[in-house]
Amino acid sequence: MQKVILFPQSCKGMEDCGICAFVCPRSLFVASEEMNESGYLPPLPPDEEKCTACGNCMIYCPDFAIAVEGGAVDGSEE
Amino acid sequence: MSEKTHPLRKYMRPQVKKTTFCPGCGAGIITQALLRAIDELGLTMDDFVFVSGIGCSAWIPSPLLNADTLHTTHGRPIAYASGVKMGLPDKHVVVVSGDGDLSAIGGNHLIHAARRNIDMTVILVNNGIYGMTGGQTAPTTPYGLTTITSPYGNAEQEFDISALVVAAGGSYVARWTTYHPRQMTKSIKKAIQKKGFAMIEAITQCPMQFGRVSKQGSAVNMLKNYKQNGIRIEKAAKMDPSELQGKIVEGVFVDCDKPELISSVAALQRRTGGKE
Repeated sequence: MQKVILFPQSCKGMEDCGICAFVCPRSLFVASEEMNESGYLPPLPPDEEKCTACGNCMIYCPDFAIAVEGGAVDGSEE
Repeated sequence: MSEKTHPLRKYMRPQVKKTTFCPGCGAGIITQALLRAIDELGLTMDDFVFVSGIGCSAWIPSPLLNADTLHTTHGRPIAYASGVKMGLPDKHVVVVSGDGDLSAIGGNHLIHAARRNIDMTVILVNNGIYGMTGGQTAPTTPYGLTTITSPYGNAEQEFDISALVVAAGGSYVARWTTYHPRQMTKSIKKAIQKKGFAMIEAITQCPMQFGRVSKQGSAVNMLKNYKQNGIRIEKAAKMDPSELQGKIVEGVFVDCDKPELISSVAALQRRTGGKE
């Protein structure tokens, strides 16, 4: 079961923002080498073994780019 | 299986793919705190009218939220919101705007709405600088900070907006930084439910302008600063004012019940036999 769901296209990059890496108590977020559509480097999916699903990354992400298990929902906007 | 989406996306306009803010801007954290408060209260976007003025943070309701929004003239969102609340007393009216909009150009609207105790929620996004126009000195800019309009340091004292609204007569006033989004969500929930004038002063990082001129740099450094210097009002009350230099006093400043304008006007109309 995947705990952390990333939406890399919404991300504004770990170089300029990087709030997810700062607020994660276990420092699980590392920048990807793949750019998203806007040219930012989003984080790689964190290590599921170490993640405790505390929800910090979801609450602090200013760009709605991270959802944590129990928070993410299926289906589109309508 | 259909594609997964962020749980708060259902409150946002479907055509919005990204927020309008700079990387690391705290306005997104405040948007999420607001939407989470609405979600936890079990309200829908039809229960709300959002009003914003001019500035970066005024972009929170207008392109993002899938609700009725008014993007008004500079400094006047509270004046528009008062009219909306008078016309639609059943709706929750929420003003989201910045410190420059609400406390500088619209300062009088803020204090008089608080004095009248009209039922609305104001989320005042305070980044301490005029961010959108390029980093000029605002009334909330800390003393001594070098900005592009104060190249030798800001000679003016900064505005304590929460204390101002408490003195003007607000029913609910709280201040939180973006390092405390859980507490901010709780306060926004209380503010929405409060019958009367409620204001949340959300201190937020502006890494592009404030971070640059204050040499704090990135969003992460500014959040670290909030973590180190944030202090609860209960503790601050016991401390000497000289010890509070550079600290950010956070918490609920006032939470009281007093006669509210809309219900007072309705009572007046009933008493005088006017049309309700």
